[in-house]
Amino acid sequence: MIEEAPLLRAQNVTRLYGGRVGCRDISFSLWPGEVLGVVGESGSGKTTLLRSLAGFEPPDEGAIHFRHGTEEHDIYALDEASRRAMMRTEWGMVHQNPRDGLRLDVSAGGNIGESLMARGDRHYGKMRARITDWLQRVEIDSSRIDDSPQSFSGGMQQRLQIARVLVAEPRLVFMDEPTGGLDVSVQARLLDLLRVLVRDLHLAAIIVTHDLAVARLLTDRLIVMKDGHIIEEGLTDQILDDPHHAYTQLLTSAVLSA
Amino acid sequence: MITMLEACGLRKTFTLHNQNGVVLNVLDHVDLDLAAGEMVVLKGPSGAGKSTLLRILYGNYKPVAGAVRLRHDGEMVDIVGARTSRVLDIRRRTLSFVSQFLRVIPRVATLDIVKDQMLTRGIGDAEATERAAAMLTRLNLPEQMWGLAPATFSGGEQQRVNIARSFVAPTPLLLLDEPTASLDPVNRDVVVELIETTRKAGSAMVGIFHDDAVSSRIATRVMQLSPRKAV
Repeated sequence: MIEEAPLLRAQNVTRLYGGRVGCRDISFSLWPGEVLGVVGESGSGKTTLLRSLAGFEPPDEGAIHFRHGTEEHDIYALDEASRRAMMRTEWGMVHQNPRDGLRLDVSAGGNIGESLMARGDRHYGKMRARITDWLQRVEIDSSRIDDSPQSFSGGMQQRLQIARVLVAEPRLVFMDEPTGGLDVSVQARLLDLLRVLVRDLHLAAIIVTHDLAVARLLTDRLIVMKDGHIIEEGLTDQILDDPHHAYTQLLTSAVLSA
Repeated sequence: MITMLEACGLRKTFTLHNQNGVVLNVLDHVDLDLAAGEMVVLKGPSGAGKSTLLRILYGNYKPVAGAVRLRHDGEMVDIVGARTSRVLDIRRRTLSFVSQFLRVIPRVATLDIVKDQMLTRGIGDAEATERAAAMLTRLNLPEQMWGLAPATFSGGEQQRVNIARSFVAPTPLLLLDEPTASLDPVNRDVVVELIETTRKAGSAMVGIFHDDAVSSRIATRVMQLSPRKAV
């Protein structure tokens, strides 16, 4: 059941913004099929870290290793083309704002089809069938296939973005506040959808969120960040129920329960 | 006699950093051995650390000292300090925690909640559905409720959904935190029967039950805990 080598290893990752620390000296490993949450208040370096891990911004120090088959690659030591190819086929990014992850001038079906074409699919009939299947999986009526995502609600756009990312069958998905900005009922639906997809596709994921309830429902393990550092790390329910660090205790005690 | 769990030298303190750094000393030098087919009931006044001990055994609380070794895949594994993916694998196949509260994603239907663990463990959909249906029926939850999310159910109904999910395909080790707390007598008896059947089938259990009638019916052994003083 357990694969013994990590899928991704971050080693002393540091990213500075003109002397100001984005994140400093971050090290951890992610195993296949594991869902890791990164929590902490705004400005604690969560998104900076995610962008470095996902291949968008090289760290100033440290390295990120990704395992492909039996080989481990330092993703920023690869040439640009190889890194891009890896980003396209091995992992995906779900942005907080679906408009950053979708092509708004392309139809809903086209948004999903582009991902398939990017990994080399050319058979139109098969692609159409997969697109329809994915629209259903993310609970978008397949009659909307030719509609522009601009005519979709925020929740539908977010689900379309998830379909666009997951149709490519990545092994690792990065998510930045995937339920941020959605109303509560839409959030619950999206959470359930993500939970089922992660289980069925055996995905590994790194999810940045400031919502501890989302972290509890979706993640296996948590990293708590403050001022660019990891201050506490462990099993999600252990961190939330038995926090050891003063800041984590403050964070968990500040949650309002409905 | 097959040892399923051995906990030794458990010590647990809580440091409340945001409340003047108060240190609560909850458990000190606690040992517990548990064999297959046993039900150890934890006794002691409120604050004696019964729930804390149960949560340490589950890997939910981190002890300051001590080890919790449990039988997983034929070998004894220490859950304290084990890698996350290891702990999760243990929880998926070997160890479960049954509380009186149901914690689920808001809109998931009752039947799907009960099936979920079975699907995760690779049991086919048809079999999972059949077993879930039988268990819900046994716990007197009528079929009209199966398609609904339990958010609108009564406390006792939610509790039974939780029990259904835990006992439909029970793990070799079960930790029970007041699973019969707010049930009516009829359903309490069903649950007591379920616990008995599961234990006799070979599962090992540690439980907290405030109802003495229930605990004397199901306990094969009692473990007494006494409260500690603040340091």
